[in-house]
Parts: sequence; C-alpha cells; structure tokens
Amino acid sequence: MTKGQVSLRGKDILGLQGMTVDEMGLILDSAKEMKNIIDRDIKKVPTLRGKSIVNLFFEPSTRTRTSFELAGKYLGADVVNVTTSASSVVKGESLRDTLLTVEAMGVDIIVMRHEAEGSAEFAASAVSPVIVNAGDGAHEHPTQGLLDMFTIREKKGNISGLKVAIIGDILHSRVARSNIWALLKMGADVSVAGPRTLLPRDLEKHGVKVYDRVEAALEGADVVNILRIQRERQQKGLFPTTREYARIFGVNKDRLSLAKDDVLVMHPGPMNRGLEIAPDVAYSAQSAIQEQVKNGLAVRMAILFLVLMGGNDIEVSA
Amino acid sequence: MKLVLKGGRIIDPSQQLDIVGDVVVVDGRIEAAGVGLAEAADGARIIDVSGLVIAPGLVDMHVHLRDPGLEAKEDIASGTRAAAAGGYTTVCPMPNTKPVIDNAILVAGMKQKAREEGVVNVQIIGALSKGQQGKELAEIGDMMLNGAVALSDDGHYVESAYILKTGLEYARMFGGLVISHAEEESLAGDGFMHEGAVSAMLGLRGRPAVAEDIAVARDVLLAEYTGGTIHIAHVSTAGAVECIRQAKLRGVKVTAEATPHHLTLTDEAVIGFNTATKVNPPLRSTEHVEALIAGLKDGTIDAIATDHAPHAFEEKDMEFRYAPSGFSGLETALGVILNSFYHTGKFTLNEVIDRMSTTPAKILGLEAGTLKVGAPADIVVIDPEKEWTIDSNNFYTRGKCTPYEGNTLRGRAVATIVGGRVVMQGGEVKE
Ligand SMILES: [Zn+2]
Repeated sequence: MTKGQVSLRGKDILGLQGMTVDEMGLILDSAKEMKNIIDRDIKKVPTLRGKSIVNLFFEPSTRTRTSFELAGKYLGADVVNVTTSASSVVKGESLRDTLLTVEAMGVDIIVMRHEAEGSAEFAASAVSPVIVNAGDGAHEHPTQGLLDMFTIREKKGNISGLKVAIIGDILHSRVARSNIWALLKMGADVSVAGPRTLLPRDLEKHGVKVYDRVEAALEGADVVNILRIQRERQQKGLFPTTREYARIFGVNKDRLSLAKDDVLVMHPGPMNRGLEIAPDVAYSAQSAIQEQVKNGLAVRMAILFLVLMGGNDIEVSA
Repeated sequence: MKLVLKGGRIIDPSQQLDIVGDVVVVDGRIEAAGVGLAEAADGARIIDVSGLVIAPGLVDMHVHLRDPGLEAKEDIASGTRAAAAGGYTTVCPMPNTKPVIDNAILVAGMKQKAREEGVVNVQIIGALSKGQQGKELAEIGDMMLNGAVALSDDGHYVESAYILKTGLEYARMFGGLVISHAEEESLAGDGFMHEGAVSAMLGLRGRPAVAEDIAVARDVLLAEYTGGTIHIAHVSTAGAVECIRQAKLRGVKVTAEATPHHLTLTDEAVIGFNTATKVNPPLRSTEHVEALIAGLKDGTIDAIATDHAPHAFEEKDMEFRYAPSGFSGLETALGVILNSFYHTGKFTLNEVIDRMSTTPAKILGLEAGTLKVGAPADIVVIDPEKEWTIDSNNFYTRGKCTPYEGNTLRGRAVATIVGGRVVMQGGEVKE
C-alpha cells in the first residue's frame, strides 16, 4: 500500500464507486488508530480544534447523525446539526440556496444526508466546503461501506478472496451499493440474494453474482451482510407479506449454517428482528453488529481527519 | 423582391436534386433552382453561398414552445428565434401549455400569435383529449378545420385504449394524424432514467424499455384496427423500432420520429447526475441506440424531431429526482446530427435533410420541406464543415440547458430564410 502518496485533503467523500483502493486503505488504516482513541477514558483529542462541521440532514437518522457528531467532537471540532426537509416546496428554499447559506457561515465540512440520489455530487459542485456523503437516496453511503470494510478487515484480516453475501433489498439500498463497489475493488467475491423485485436489473453486469434464493448466496460465505427491509416496500407490492419475507428470505440459524463456520454476520441497523434477521443470528457469536457501530465512529473520525488534515501524517497524539 | 442564393450545393430530397447552382426567390416563393441563374438576376439581392449547402428549411414536428402560460421556460418569440438559429423554418408546438390547446379558438389564437411574434412558421398541434386528461375527446374536427396539423396528448401517454381507439376513428374523418407519447404509465411513471446497468449503479428508479415497447405495440394495433393514422413520437427502444418496422410491412399507417439525443447519447450520460440528461423517454443503453440508428437508416424511423423541451434555470438546478424532464434541442440538433452521422459516413447529407425536413413535412402534409418551383421559400443554408462549440449562454431559447454543453461539433446552419426573408445569418437572428 502506497499510503504515503495518497492524500484525501480537501477531497469530497461522495461514494466508493469513485474511490481508489489506496484511498480506502488510507481511511481504514487511519480508522484503526482512531478506534484506540475511542477506547480511552478521555476521548477528546485537539486535532480538529477550530474546525467546524455541519451535519446537514434532509432525512432523519439518529444513528448516522450521532456517529458523525461524536466523531467530530472527539477530534475537537465544533459540530452543528441541521435537520430539515428535502422538499423545497415545504422548505421554501432550494438545495443550492441551503448549501450556500451553510457555506457562508464558514464551515469546513458539510456532512449531508438526503433522500435524492446524486445530491452529494450536486452539493460538491455547488459549494466549496468538503462534502461528506452520509447517504444520498439509494445511491451511496460511503461511510457505512467503509465501516463494513473495516469490520471485515478487522475480523478476517483481509478482504481479497473472501466470499461475501449481501441479502435483502438491494434495489433501494445505498448500503448495498457502497459495499458492492468497495468489495469488488478490494477483490472479494460478491453475491447478492433477495426477492427478484428487490434486485436491480442488470446488476450482474457489474460483476456481482445474483441469486433468487438466500441459500445459494450463503453457501460457503465468509461474510453475510443482511440489509434492513423497509415495510413500505411490501405496501408497494414488491413482496407479498412480511411473513412470507421472513420465511423465505430471512436469515435464520438454519440458513446461516450453509455459510462457513466462522461466518461474520453484519447488519447496518436498525434491525427488524424476526423479519430480515432472526434474533439468534443477530446475537450469535459470529455477529459483529454492535462492533459495527463502534467501527462506524472510528471510520468517520478518520474521514473527518483526513479530509481536513491530509493523509501523510496520521499520528494522533493525545 | 428578388433574392438569389448563388453558387451553393443544392440538396433537395423532394426532387432528388443534388447540384451546384443558384436558387432564385421571388415574392417569398421559389422561382427557380438550377445552374447559372444568378447571371440573369439583375436587381436581385445576391447572397454568395459557394462552398455551402442550400436545402429546404428544417421542419421540427415536435417542440414545446411553452406559450401560453409557461413563459418562464419559453415563449413563441424566444422559441421561434431558437428555431431560426438552428436552421428550422417550421416548428410544431405540442399543446401541453396552460391552458392546453384543445379547441379551435385556441388553435386560431396560437396561429395569430405566432404570425405576430414568431420568426419562423408555426404549425399547431391540438390536444387529442380535452385538457389532455385522456377522458373525453377534444373538438378534433373543429381544430382540424381551423388549421391544426395533428393531434396529441404529448407529455402524457393516452392510458385509456378506448380513448385512443375512438380518437383514431374520429380523427380519421378529418385526415387527422394522432401523435403518441408512448410509455406505459404504471411501468414508467415513477422512474427517472432507463432501467439497466447504469440505474443499478446509480440507484435511480428505472423507466424500463418494455414500458415503451408495450405502449407502441398497443398504439400500432389500434391504428391497424381503426385504419387511423398514428405517429410515434420520440422512439427510443429497440423493441419499439422492431414493432413499427413489422407494422409498416403489414401496411399499418404508422410513422415515427427519433430525437437527436436518443440517437447519439446513452444512459451513461446520466452518471454524475447532470439534470440536463433527464428526459422522457429516458436516454437508453447502447443496444437501443444502435437499433434506433438502424431504424432511421432503413426508413422505419421516418423523421428526426427535437422534442425541444426548455425549462427555466431554477427548475433544472435541482436534485435529479425533482428536476423536470426535457431540455432544449432546436439550436443543437443539426450540428449534433451532422457531427454524429454525416461526418462519420453513416448518413449522406441528402438523408439528413430528408429526415429533418422533407419527410416530416410530408407526414404533416405541409407545404414545406421542398425547393420545388412555386413552394414557399423556406430555406436553410448549411456549412457542413463549420466547427463550433455548444455554449448554452449563446442560445436564443430561454432553456439554457443541454446535455451537449461544451461539445465541439462540425456542421451548422449559417442562414435561415422563411418565406423569402432572411431571418438568421451567421448565427444571428435578424429580428
Ligand atoms: Zn413526449
């Protein structure tokens, strides 16, 4: 890894499709050191003192917003949360104008969550602060993808050559997309499974193995990433009932036994226990679901640090 | 008033003409086209067009001038100036304005307004159904008898097969051509781009090709059954091309158009979420584009139409999902087509002019698309070699939005003459 030559200073973090393996590697290496800080008694380091971060959330998300907020605060930055409506009709202001207003306040990073695909790209072209995409519609959720890579690397040592199964609603999932691009770049063998109605057409053209049945994807898997099912998909007629979903596509102990014995179980949360994931899977020894939350914090600290301070000196002193 | 275009290459598909010579215009009509006419034309205004192409003015059978009611996007004055800049001498606005053009008074009013404010010919397309609601037929007969040239609910698919059937039957009595925007609503309605590998990547909801295939198949079958005449607007899928090809072999009265953007861009243009690539039907994948070009070549697709659909800056300056579909096309169409098809050797100049002028005029029964003696002197002068770079800031249209922004093209209109009046010269619209 040529870590010394890679820098993310000033770079927008929009998605993993557009990120190199070296850039992802730099973030993951840096996150490892950040994780040590989280385990300290006194977590605050002064690295980003005087820097300001706005969490601009057009969709409610306590989880991701809290994670970014703490990540910024642990590094000593000032963090402000702005939660608003995506609809310019409701809000009376366009996305560009909202961004320009935030920019005018002199912030260094805008962490943005928005329901519309491509809104992070839009923001990056509209204003000068660094944009960190905290999820844009069904497009990308790069920090979630990276925290999943971090978790896999931590547990499995390496990503290349692993068989990774992603189960559930791929069609509407930014988490799935960010995972897929990162895993493919890092040399994993990626399978997806779920109801056909929730699998994007032509996904296999991107080098992903696509299965109708969960069992086929789980066979011999080193890692399984189980996606959250939104109940409104059922109301849109994409699958008949949540009962049928749980019976046919839910990951339970029986199905999981098709995977390798040391399979790593992940879920981006929040879980619908008993729907896409059985409780005995969620709380099994193979589950890293709680660890993912901590890793998310570490990865977000790494990103905030790297985009503001650069990539050559990642020593973080207390 | 006499005007002579001197020493150009005259290409007129309507009379298989391709000679170097002069065109003489007297009192707004073509007096003669041939060799050595300039010498005898004493007292005439003479424009030297040597090295350039003289062709019948372009005819765009599918534009949105947004007038009345949506003037922030465009109006007749700005839209017809954009047409003149692009080499068009006739444009046919769709009736999806506010109010919808769905009765004879509105048709007559539009014609009047176009005469007063427009710089090119404007031929009016009336709505097929009242308010384009797809529920009751509009006053088709009255509109046709008062100068409408076709009928369309464009912007919307005519969801009810019953309304399209009765519309075709009724319009037939008046020689009325029905133009269909064919995308099955329950499949396409919620989507933002072509469904395929690129939508899989971007996470944008898809408008599947089959939505268009189904709609075209139904429309063609209804035309066949009723004996009515249908024209399929902005064809974009391989399935639709094949369906139309087969229907033509069976003798169905069907014609079709394709847009420059569907002929030259793919869904990969959407990567990056530029709202200037959002359009209905959506930009398709390569196999569809190739089938469309093959259809244009073999005559399955009769005409090239722009679907010029301008929007105000603030409407397109949005998240991809929320931005309206469509963009301006009148000022880029000829350059894009010459650049992509003539200069690559896929189409001859004669074929380009046929698809952009002579054939659309014929489909609509217009006195246009020809340089025959006695025809209105609607003429475009083309410099097929002229290199230029698209900059929407220089557009005459209010819709400063194009997926071709910054592209350098070879070939453009250098003069537009409408009824013998030079309305554009050297890219400058005269009035
Ligand atoms: Zn249309």
